[in-house]
Amino acid sequence: MSVTPPNNDPAAAPVRVERTYKRFTLGQRWEHAVLIVCVLVLLLTGLPQKYRGTEWSHWLLSTPERVYQIQQIHHITALVLTAELLYHIGRAIYLIIRRRLPGDLLPNMQDVRDAWRMIRYLLFLTRKKPAYGKYNFEQKFTYWFLFLGIGLLVITGFILWFPETVTRFLPGGVVPAALLAHSNEAVVAAIFIVVWHFFHVHLERLNLSIFTGRLSEDEMRTYHAAEFERLTGENAIFPEDKGGSR
Amino acid sequence: MRKANCIQSASLALSGCLIVALALAFALASAPTLLAQADEPHQETEKYCLSCHGNPDLKMTLPDGEEVSLYVSSEDLEGSVHSPAGIECEACHTEIKTYPHPPMEFKTRREMTRTYYLACQKCHAANYEKAQDSMHAQVAEAGNLDAPVCTDCHGAHDVRPPDQPRSQISITCGKCHTEINQEYSYSIHGSVLLGEDNPDVPVCTDCHGVHNIQDPRTAQFRVETPDLCAGCHANSELMAKYGLSADVYDLYDLSWHGVDIAVYKSQWPTIWHESAVCTDCHGIHNIRSTDDPDSTVNPKNLLATCQKCHPGVGPNWTDAWTGHNKIDPQRTPILYYTEVFYNSFTPLVLWLSVIYVILQIFHAIVDRVRRSLS
Repeated sequence: MSVTPPNNDPAAAPVRVERTYKRFTLGQRWEHAVLIVCVLVLLLTGLPQKYRGTEWSHWLLSTPERVYQIQQIHHITALVLTAELLYHIGRAIYLIIRRRLPGDLLPNMQDVRDAWRMIRYLLFLTRKKPAYGKYNFEQKFTYWFLFLGIGLLVITGFILWFPETVTRFLPGGVVPAALLAHSNEAVVAAIFIVVWHFFHVHLERLNLSIFTGRLSEDEMRTYHAAEFERLTGENAIFPEDKGGSR
Repeated sequence: MRKANCIQSASLALSGCLIVALALAFALASAPTLLAQADEPHQETEKYCLSCHGNPDLKMTLPDGEEVSLYVSSEDLEGSVHSPAGIECEACHTEIKTYPHPPMEFKTRREMTRTYYLACQKCHAANYEKAQDSMHAQVAEAGNLDAPVCTDCHGAHDVRPPDQPRSQISITCGKCHTEINQEYSYSIHGSVLLGEDNPDVPVCTDCHGVHNIQDPRTAQFRVETPDLCAGCHANSELMAKYGLSADVYDLYDLSWHGVDIAVYKSQWPTIWHESAVCTDCHGIHNIRSTDDPDSTVNPKNLLATCQKCHPGVGPNWTDAWTGHNKIDPQRTPILYYTEVFYNSFTPLVLWLSVIYVILQIFHAIVDRVRRSLS
């Protein structure tokens, strides 16, 4: 938590002082930036290979050399993403060993209750949204869906890259299964990012905390009330509209 | 008005002429043999010629020292398609009108053959033209005069229907392509052709074409191979007769090899591509039943066949190829359950996500409307 010190100078009274709360470390913000670039490049180079029968794919993969280049770019980007995934998992393991891994992202029973409450809210059965902690169940769902999806894509991707080596240790049947899974999972992940993730961070509200690293007090009170109360000991409900639903 | 009338009557007359001309042309084209017979009533040249050429000892010596027999067997002529139809010696030997014959200019026997066969085009223009586009003609043009011309396959005086019996075709090609014919005769296709005179199996010409036979070693021929085989092997009626699956082509088309080849076929048919086509695994002229222990795709030999392109792969490798089989829980369990997962669980999760987002959008709109109303 980092709190901008309240300004008590009366001369500066008209200036609105806003407290912000740290949400992501610099490392996490970089991880996300690298992830965006990797996923974008991998989709752009992967989808034309998946849909090789289509016109637009022919336009992109216009010569055998171009197919080779596209595959090279896909492979190099995949290596970057793999390195990032290993760093991500490695860091988590390191933090677990040091007993310093925050449990905020782990799914728990509260998420089930929150989801149930949220669905009731969306169906107009209750007027109050649940008070979320640092990460709400939507955000946890985003993280785990993509973490597992990318994990699967990386594993199946390496099976497809080195099928002859992989079948020395694994049954041959993993190769066609990996092709099916890689091809499907990529599209599933793309759809999920556009529908679920983009909606929640761009349309529902513009949430740039993954780039800035911070959330404003307003955002904390509104969207992470439980976390706000835990950090500040204050009531998250805005003083001016106590009793109202927000 | 007058001018229009004038044009009208002129065009009428013109079209009238056209119709007459077309009808004449049609009649001429449709009955060339009829016409030939009508113009030159049946001549007894054959009998006349054979009075000398019926002598088995008649021969001449060409400038290169080769002796050429000038004997023509009357049985050959009678058994041929031409003589009984009234098409006799002078139809082909056009330069010989009488005895003594004009002097012959041929230096070799081959030169003689390659000159006389030109007469075939008088009647068989279409097939002659096709043959000029063939691999054989190209080879001849490049200097190999042994490349076959009409008479090498069809015979000269003894021209018979080329496919009676059907096995005659492979025997004809086998005159030059001995080794291939040998391989073919042991293959599943060749053995039932020769053994049972089976009308369903392909003979040489079914795959290679008849007169315009092309080089089968080109990139183009390679990428078109699956379609060639599919001509029979995707025909469910024909395959059912032999207990074979007619899905092999469609399933190949979905495979890694098949997708690759389909792309090359549609995009770069002239660029050589190594992805396997039917013949790479099953063999070409030596295709055998997959149950045959000598088949290249018999389970016993499959790994060795894969290793032709994938050197050093281990025994698990053969399972990476789903073997023209549909996805099936017994045969390809990993693939099967992967497909089940992506057909049920994943769409369910995605749909639930979509519904949730739609509910959120709907709720936000309702909130906004309410706020603007209050």
